[in-house]
Amino acid sequence: MGVTRVLKAYSIEEILDVMEKYGEKVELLAGGTDLLVDIRAGKNKGSVIIDISDVKEMKKIEIGEDDIVLGALTTFTDIAENDYLKENVTGLWKAAKSVGSPQIRNMGTVGGNICNGSPAADIVPPLLVLDAKLNIKSRSKQRKIKLKEFYMENGSRNLRSDELLYSISFTKSRDKNIRIGFEKLGLRNALAISRISCSVYAIIGENNRIENIRIASGALGKYPLREYALEKFLKDKNLNDGLIEEAAEIFSHEVKQRLSGRSSCPYKKEAVKGIFKKAISFEGE
Amino acid sequence: MINIKLNVNGKDYDLEIEEDLRLIDLLRDRLGFTGTKEGCGEGECGACTVILEGKTVNSCLLLAIQAHGKEITTIEGIGKEDDLHPIQESFLENGAVQCGYCIPGMVLSAKALLDKNKNPTRKDIREAISGNLCRCTGYEKIVDSIEKASKILQQRGSESHEQL
Repeated sequence: MGVTRVLKAYSIEEILDVMEKYGEKVELLAGGTDLLVDIRAGKNKGSVIIDISDVKEMKKIEIGEDDIVLGALTTFTDIAENDYLKENVTGLWKAAKSVGSPQIRNMGTVGGNICNGSPAADIVPPLLVLDAKLNIKSRSKQRKIKLKEFYMENGSRNLRSDELLYSISFTKSRDKNIRIGFEKLGLRNALAISRISCSVYAIIGENNRIENIRIASGALGKYPLREYALEKFLKDKNLNDGLIEEAAEIFSHEVKQRLSGRSSCPYKKEAVKGIFKKAISFEGE
Repeated sequence: MINIKLNVNGKDYDLEIEEDLRLIDLLRDRLGFTGTKEGCGEGECGACTVILEGKTVNSCLLLAIQAHGKEITTIEGIGKEDDLHPIQESFLENGAVQCGYCIPGMVLSAKALLDKNKNPTRKDIREAISGNLCRCTGYEKIVDSIEKASKILQQRGSESHEQL
């Protein structure tokens, strides 16, 4: 679709005004790393582009008392350069650092990664295991939904055309036993789209008992997914090499069923084991 | 058509442009900064790298309007033919340039790195140029050159410090 208008917004209020006025014709330009490619190919869904890349109130990382809030325009570089996130939310930091290239990390945003809805979106699996919430606003109302409720079975997103995702928040945890891992498989280190990604959040108590666990994957379905069957299997068990091996087999079986009939299935059902094992060994923490 | 103001290589411009013009097209076609190369047009190759407000970006993935009110450095802003930047000198001396197409982007990624990190490790250098593809050199001489340029810059920095 051709571009008829390009408007620049400097505040959330301005964005909402334009979204209300132009409705479904609107396409938001955040980092632009995917949208510019679409525009060149004539594949942009809206003809009115709103450049929101200079909306300062949506660029922030707030480490609060109880919550951590990421403005939707926080770039991957912003996350990768944040020492608190590196130390305390390592899986999220690793995912941000693994995105594309320095140039892409300087441009690409968390909100764009979520809303674009790619199954391979790198930042989504760690946010899923953090049980992140999306803060959404329109002219008429404001709502908060869980990220895991954002992607719908029919391939669409839980976001109306007049609604803006303005920030993402998750609980700040002080529990010393929390581990957050992330691992991805690309065809090379830089500039590679994830073939498989996996993030694990776990609270490991005495005797390595898994008191709580959340696992999410990327590029293993229509959108990034929580791996509930795997979580159920691991919860309350003692984390050791044998258990990880068993869990990897279960994960592989899940993937085999999910991707059945696809050409990537034979490869992914094997490769997922290694990625999962690395993610749950919390390397680099 | 829309109006934008921006600063490229230290000079202010006030321009009327088509709304969906990309930054790379503005730089090359309107302003004549043809040192900025277009390779893939999809942000994969880094040939179009420029420095925007101190950070490297792919100018093929930005609309020109996104640069409104901002400062941009292209390869033309790094050194002159008779007064090369130490990074450029080092690339020449160490044989880091073959066909040359990736080099403007490569130099700008190196510049952005050395502006932030005066004494990078080889790993830091590899990381900094990981968004710039080179199909000729195999990267070794490029990494050598950036490492040597960092030494030259440090030396010059300490010399000018002594003069003060």
